[in-house]
Amino acid sequence: MRKWLIPITLVCFMSAFFLAFQLKVQANNTNINPLSQKNTNLVTIIKDLEAEIASQEDQIEKARNDISAMQNQQTKGQIKELQEELMRIKVVAGLTSVAGPGIIIVLDDNKDGLNANPNDDPNKYIIHYEHILNLVSDLKAGGAEAISINGQRLITTSEIRCVGNVILVNTTRIAPPFEIRVIGSPKILGEIASSRELDILKTSGFPVTIKEDEKVIIPAYKGDLQFNYSQIVKKEG
Amino acid sequence: MWLLPILGLIFGAVIGSALTFQVPPGYIKYMSIAVLASLDSVFGGIRSVLENHFDGTILLTGFFTNALLAALLAYLGDRLGVDLYYAAVFAFGVRLFQNLANIRHTILLQYRNKKNRYRGDGNE
Repeated sequence: MRKWLIPITLVCFMSAFFLAFQLKVQANNTNINPLSQKNTNLVTIIKDLEAEIASQEDQIEKARNDISAMQNQQTKGQIKELQEELMRIKVVAGLTSVAGPGIIIVLDDNKDGLNANPNDDPNKYIIHYEHILNLVSDLKAGGAEAISINGQRLITTSEIRCVGNVILVNTTRIAPPFEIRVIGSPKILGEIASSRELDILKTSGFPVTIKEDEKVIIPAYKGDLQFNYSQIVKKEG
Repeated sequence: MWLLPILGLIFGAVIGSALTFQVPPGYIKYMSIAVLASLDSVFGGIRSVLENHFDGTILLTGFFTNALLAALLAYLGDRLGVDLYYAAVFAFGVRLFQNLANIRHTILLQYRNKKNRYRGDGNE
């Protein structure tokens, strides 16, 4: 037996072992390279911009509060009526925090279902933006006066959409569990919410909780509100 | 004569693919540089066998130290912010190609010498 046979065999064995192992790991690991410099840079950029957005939203809120304070100074007569009208319109527009009776709905991904069926298509076990969209539509049909999703107040121009696997409301990322606060008649809201979208979700196994509350507090809309295209139509005659 | 190493290769490949051990995702690239280093030792060993200056100790110690050092240097490079990973890939890649070329060279020359010796005897 040549003297080199054993070491070479040993080395070949170990190399083949490492190679096969590495190939297997790479096969399981196709595109996710968490150390990729480009991904790290993008994530950092996103985080910085989101922090900037949050601070600017705080500034907007403060400016709006200052404006409100000035607008609500003690006056009498006609100006008082205008002030009240202004306040009412702000409430309707979603620019103020509101409180009142209503319901709080909590939706979450169907984690148990996914764990029980790990080889199934995971899209069947997560909440999609359409679920939330349909639910909001049902709530509005049920007479909802104010709706917020994970702290984002919905106003007329609010959108609910998805980018990749993230849901955006008011261009802000929201993640499950989704807490949807609604002010309105608790009874009607509860009925209409449970009868349609939520019913579908519940039968599919998603965890859904509905809670009636005497005093649901819904935050004000903090985003920007600039109408650049709409003009007031003056009624003729 | 070469059957045993080939068996070793097959055996290693089978066991490697059967094992399901989870490497933490951040460390996968260090494993890959260790693989490259060990491949380089294998071909270095094969070359030294063909050139008749084989040394088992050098091969075995080289195998482990190369793999370990390559992974360590790549990790150190990441902490320092210098991409030493690429330096290791380059170094081992160059050596790999050189060893392979030498192996091919030696095998061709040996084959040619054998053929010439045959011819020489036949023409006696």
